Amino acid sequence: MKKLQISAVVLLLLTGAPAAFSQETTECFESRKGASEVTQKEVSPGLPNVKCSPRTGGVLWWGDPYDGTQPMGEMPIEADYSHGEAVVKPRESKLKLMALCGVACHNGVFPPVPKDKNPRALNMHKDVVPDSLNLQHGRGGIWCLDCHHTTTRNKLVDNFGNEISFNQPQKLCGKCHGQIYRGWREGMHGKRIGEWASDGKKRWFVCTECHNPHDVQQGDRNSGFAQLRPERAPILPKGIYNTDHEGHHGSSDHQDDEAAKH
Amino acid sequence: MSENTIPVVELSDQSPCGGESVGQWDPNAQDDRSLDSPSRRTFVQNSAAGMSAASLMGTAALVTGSDDADANTTWAEHFQGNYRLMSDEEKAEALDRLEKRYSLEYEKDVTVDGTEAADNVLFGYALNIKKCIGCRRCVKACVQENNQTRGDEQEIEWIRVLKMEKGEFTQEKLKDGYPGEVGIQVGGNAYGAVGVVLEGEHYYEPDKVPEQDSHYMPIACMQCEKPPCVKVCPVRTTYREADGPVVIDYNWCIGCRMCIGACPYWARRFNWGEPKLPKEEMNPDTHYLGNRPRMKGVVEKCTFCIQRTRQGRYPACVEVCPVGARKFGNLLDPNSEVRRVLATKRVFRLKAELNTYPKFFYYVD
Amino acid sequence: MKIMIQFVIDYISYIFKGGLRFYAWMGFLALFLLPWAYGNYMQFTQGMIVTGLSDQVSWGLYLANFVFLVGVAAGAVTIVFPAYVYKYEPLHKVAVLGEMLAIAAVIMCILFVFSHMGRPDRLWHMVPLLGIYNFPNSMLTWDTMVLIGYFLLNLVCGFYYLYQKYTGRPLNNNFYLPLIFISIVWALSIHTVTAFLINTMPARPMWHHGMMPIRFISTAFAAGPSLIIVIFLIIRKNTALWIEDKAINMLSTIVVGCLSIGLFLTLSEVVTELYHPTEHSDGLRYLMFGKHGLSNLVPWFWGSLVAMLVGWVLLLIPRVRKNYTVLPYICVLIFLGIWVEKGMGLLIPGSIPTPIGEFTQYSPTMIEIMNCLGNWAIGFLILTVLLKGAIGIVLGDVKYTKTQ
Repeated sequence: MKKLQISAVVLLLLTGAPAAFSQETTECFESRKGASEVTQKEVSPGLPNVKCSPRTGGVLWWGDPYDGTQPMGEMPIEADYSHGEAVVKPRESKLKLMALCGVACHNGVFPPVPKDKNPRALNMHKDVVPDSLNLQHGRGGIWCLDCHHTTTRNKLVDNFGNEISFNQPQKLCGKCHGQIYRGWREGMHGKRIGEWASDGKKRWFVCTECHNPHDVQQGDRNSGFAQLRPERAPILPKGIYNTDHEGHHGSSDHQDDEAAKH
Repeated sequence: MSENTIPVVELSDQSPCGGESVGQWDPNAQDDRSLDSPSRRTFVQNSAAGMSAASLMGTAALVTGSDDADANTTWAEHFQGNYRLMSDEEKAEALDRLEKRYSLEYEKDVTVDGTEAADNVLFGYALNIKKCIGCRRCVKACVQENNQTRGDEQEIEWIRVLKMEKGEFTQEKLKDGYPGEVGIQVGGNAYGAVGVVLEGEHYYEPDKVPEQDSHYMPIACMQCEKPPCVKVCPVRTTYREADGPVVIDYNWCIGCRMCIGACPYWARRFNWGEPKLPKEEMNPDTHYLGNRPRMKGVVEKCTFCIQRTRQGRYPACVEVCPVGARKFGNLLDPNSEVRRVLATKRVFRLKAELNTYPKFFYYVD
Repeated sequence: MKIMIQFVIDYISYIFKGGLRFYAWMGFLALFLLPWAYGNYMQFTQGMIVTGLSDQVSWGLYLANFVFLVGVAAGAVTIVFPAYVYKYEPLHKVAVLGEMLAIAAVIMCILFVFSHMGRPDRLWHMVPLLGIYNFPNSMLTWDTMVLIGYFLLNLVCGFYYLYQKYTGRPLNNNFYLPLIFISIVWALSIHTVTAFLINTMPARPMWHHGMMPIRFISTAFAAGPSLIIVIFLIIRKNTALWIEDKAINMLSTIVVGCLSIGLFLTLSEVVTELYHPTEHSDGLRYLMFGKHGLSNLVPWFWGSLVAMLVGWVLLLIPRVRKNYTVLPYICVLIFLGIWVEKGMGLLIPGSIPTPIGEFTQYSPTMIEIMNCLGNWAIGFLILTVLLKGAIGIVLGDVKYTKTQ
């Protein structure tokens, strides 16, 4: 630790400025754009919390994998984390309406609690669900209140009507997606960062950090994830000046030979 | 795969950051980590604590602006032996030398770690080919972590992601045959394939991924148990480490590129020119056999991020994958993620017919 | 010892006794040294980035020339073998010239290896005891061993013969003949091991077949004697050393025989690979027809094939074979055809597509070409010097005389 401090002092004396990466504050996203944003900062001298892709704004590298996390807390079923250390990044701070929704709008009395769970057109929350009659989750089989608590709107709901924190969406999603939930607990589904040892300290990414629960149907995009802008392609090797030769994919040898002749 | 047959790794052995100090150079290294700041920096600090003095010398040289140290270190570097055969003292000296040189060159406090393989650890990797969306973030994360050369002239990336198209299914094409006038397949030759064409597209550049009717196949070093590249090396500069990764002593490599010819996975890259690594982008936490800056004329490759994994941390590509397609862990630990994948998923290895025994597995749910 | 010093002095002073044509030839070769020095300087300071090589095609012109010249070195045995095994007198008289060619060719091989290396300054890492010699695992260490061995064998045999001739003493056959027979077998080994160097890599399906060594040897035994025929005809024309028609006829017979085998093996490969082309045939198909619109190598393949076929057909006709006005041109045609076949026809398509299926193109840069020409020029300078000295001794122009 001493070494770090001394070298930091030397660096400061020398350059009179902190290291280069802290020159501007950058916001980038961890896994799901729009729902896992993180602000770049220095966690210790010379070490940023994250490095971001200048092209896509995605996080490329974590200086401190546990920055801003808290212990995962109680889980309904014993899983691997029981002998390792599991931390998660709280989700509630990412939700814009969270602070207000339980008091300002849905105070338990007003607006009136819906009588049933039949789908209906909604005028509110169109930023989250543009067309409530065409919810991109469950193919018409589920409705807002299957997941959101009927009266306590800043909570999710389990099968018994009990509240689930937005920080632990896995408890909710696991209601239907049991197989995936099990895979996630065992470390096969989803993403973890930190230490590789099975009993090491890991930050677990929870369901909604990667998936948008209001838009998970695969559709044209061929994936349960939102489509992303990819990082830049590798530079072309010497002797190749365009990617025309890759346009022949799926083409038959016959066409190939024809093309070669031209 | 019975849990009884494979020794379960003890916590103290295998968790370098949570357990006892793993410093190789100074058994009395002060244990100064704090649970409150479990950063990468601290990971490296633990093992490099014994070398603080050396780093301070580097810093001192930095203050005085003297380049004598630089000249001497470079000179000594030219005549050092093969890293694998060095004594512990020689290794410590070599690491010192490099720390000084890099610290001067990159104007920051660079550590060059020499942590050896831990007992009862064999690194393995599994990639869910169904999940990969082809975003190439692993490729770029790898570059951030591993100090590869970058720029327009030469750019080294250890991971290559291929896009596989689902192919064509038109009836019209199937009427083509040989010879043309006679009809379908008279000569035993239909001209083309129906469906998936297993020829990858390397330079795909769409606005968004994943694309319709495509899947993606990332390829990097397979860390073979029987690596063809190691066998062909005339000077044994590349070898398999005890915990699995195939590494290169960049200072011993003669640049003959036999290994590049022998690798069936195209996983090795050559520093054609003097590497370009901007100071501000340089990752100062390095390992001698891993991401320390390279020189021109030598080969480099993926090491499973040896500088991270030897300190207990996941490889950079595992952490960055936004869809969690990449799994990494100890193949000797039945509870590790990679072992669970092997136990429960449909797994295959690339070019298994070549008997290279990769420790990199592809799987689908 | 005194005699030996005298030998060196006489040998060197004879070399410098040359006419205008000799000096013009040497001067012409020396012209290539300036760009060679520049090219090497650029490559050493900037790195291999000044070449046309890439991670996709990381073995190029340098290694192609190396492989070809190993063949030329081995090809020298086409003189030594009939001379000593069949006691074929016309060749026996000039067998030493073959050894001189072998020496020059091996030196060229070493020059090309130096050009190919990313870190020539670290070649000492390969020196046993000083560094690490990964023997017997690495095929490159086998190749180094057989090449250096072949070089030493020819150096010893050639100069022992010349020295004895110079002093007028008889050859000690108990010493000399075993070395000659070892060198004959050794010649086969150098090209065999060079074939093993590239065909023991399953990563490169185009090379990964057991036909490689015999194909290497058969083409080498066509290219080598082709060059020797040209050299012999030049010697006949320009020096007092009269090389008999029989010697040349024997060599052209060897060329046509070995070329027949070489062409037959090419045919076998093409049919095997193309009847049902698998992914492993992609390299060959890229070479022969181009792939995905990339077709840099196509003209080279067909050009080389035509050159070899035309040369072969012409040499089959005795009247043409024995016409020494036409013969050297045919030999040059065959020599170039085989050179292309080893380089653009074998080394480069072995890397295209890459093991993970990427198609690329390779074309050498000016610096690569300058370095290659320079290496060849140095080789020919050495060859000329060696041949001139050897001819002087064989002719008796350089002789030990006590009065000196």
